[in-house]
Amino acid sequence: MIKTWELDANFRNEIMNEPGGEHLSACFQCSTCTIGCPIAEIVPSYNPRKIIQMSLLGMREDVLSNPDLWICAICQTCTARCPQDVRISDLLAAIRRIAEKEEEAGKLKVDSVRPLFEKAFLHQLEKYGRLFDMGLAMEYYKGKEGGSFIKGQLAMMKDFKDFGMRMFKKGKMGPKAMFPEKVKKKEEIEKIFEKVGEKEK
Amino acid sequence: MSEKKLAYYPGCPSATTAIEQDMSTKAVFEKLGIELSEMEDWNCCGAAEAEDPILVYALNARNLAIAEKDGLDIVTPCSICYYNLARTDKALREDEGLRAEMKDIDSSLEYKGTIKPKHILDVLVNEIGMDELSGKVEKKVNVKVAPYYGCYIGRPSETAFDDPDDPDLMDRLIELIGGENVQFSSMKTKCCGGPLMMTREDIAFEMARKVLESAKNAGADCIALACPLCGMMLDAKQPDIEKKLDIKVEMPVVYISQLLGLALGIAPGKLGLNKNVVSTKEILGKVI
Repeated sequence: MIKTWELDANFRNEIMNEPGGEHLSACFQCSTCTIGCPIAEIVPSYNPRKIIQMSLLGMREDVLSNPDLWICAICQTCTARCPQDVRISDLLAAIRRIAEKEEEAGKLKVDSVRPLFEKAFLHQLEKYGRLFDMGLAMEYYKGKEGGSFIKGQLAMMKDFKDFGMRMFKKGKMGPKAMFPEKVKKKEEIEKIFEKVGEKEK
Repeated sequence: MSEKKLAYYPGCPSATTAIEQDMSTKAVFEKLGIELSEMEDWNCCGAAEAEDPILVYALNARNLAIAEKDGLDIVTPCSICYYNLARTDKALREDEGLRAEMKDIDSSLEYKGTIKPKHILDVLVNEIGMDELSGKVEKKVNVKVAPYYGCYIGRPSETAFDDPDDPDLMDRLIELIGGENVQFSSMKTKCCGGPLMMTREDIAFEMARKVLESAKNAGADCIALACPLCGMMLDAKQPDIEKKLDIKVEMPVVYISQLLGLALGIAPGKLGLNKNVVSTKEILGKVI
């Protein structure tokens, strides 16, 4: 049951002020996004149309704590097919960023490891300017195991033992892959993260 | 094609998981007489993990600006890198305020919009063109192929360079080299699950399974693709998918640049055909 007094009329504005969320109010609920979605085919609860409707209604808490927010594969099928140019893929990313900020502020618990993975990815990028697979996996697994480096390494080995061996045999994970490739003008990358980070606040 | 030199943006997996795509791309362009000049000090595009558009624009503005200094269009073999470069190029061309915002972050992000980022598939078919390519074909690659396009080649519309539902650039290349395209249209543009591989393996594997089994059921000898993340998911993870879902697929997965390279008479070793995880031996036997 929807309790009108619990709705947040400003939620739609909050989303529309976030880059990527601008087109939210153009949605007329046709469900084209959901019908063509490859995730909805696999996960019955997954329904981007419904997430949009709940956002427009102002069901802020329900939307931000919905674990389905984190299983979009950003394949852009919904965006490509939407007759209203809602740009659902970018819109869901905008809602995810609001949820992450809420979690950082201690107001919400995100039920997904995806923010951990994305943060670990961006952290590698900030440090080296390029993706360092090994560093990413180590950081991500450490985070997944509650910050324990040892537990993280063990979990990573368990998940990636076969894969790692396979890559090694094909010469795709040789000694060179143990060290990061780095951008020379590191200061330019640092500046990007520093300044974009400030804007976000 | 009038330009004989392009700025090459290899993308992060080029040295590791997608080394065969990097090798074959370089070999094909060399054979075609087009110089690929690797961009000096390029950075990661942010892949699918940078979700803040401003961060994506900043990371890619730096790369665009590097190529612009040399006055060269960019070519990249990766669909995600292409998408990030192309959407940044578009946003910066259209929005003066955004250009100023980028310059304000750092002078290295100053991009005027005088060059274009392109995907190799686009360059091969639409710029070099089928006529020129067909003149250089030396061998018949007599394989049945499931052409798999994935996400960012046909969508979203602002950056797409092929049809969103039934793309055909790869189909045309496969016909050109003497191959046969199997009935695969419902799967061509369906996501491989790659972006969920590390956070929701269960969903990602199920998505990849659909692509792999469709290709198998259609009677394909191999899947051809043009994106390192699709390659990782469908080829490198294929044994893991088989094990986890208790299925047998054994479907070779090659980059379209590798198939084209074979037709151009380039040695398999130079195309990295020994680097694909699922053996490509049977494909090599069908090159005449």
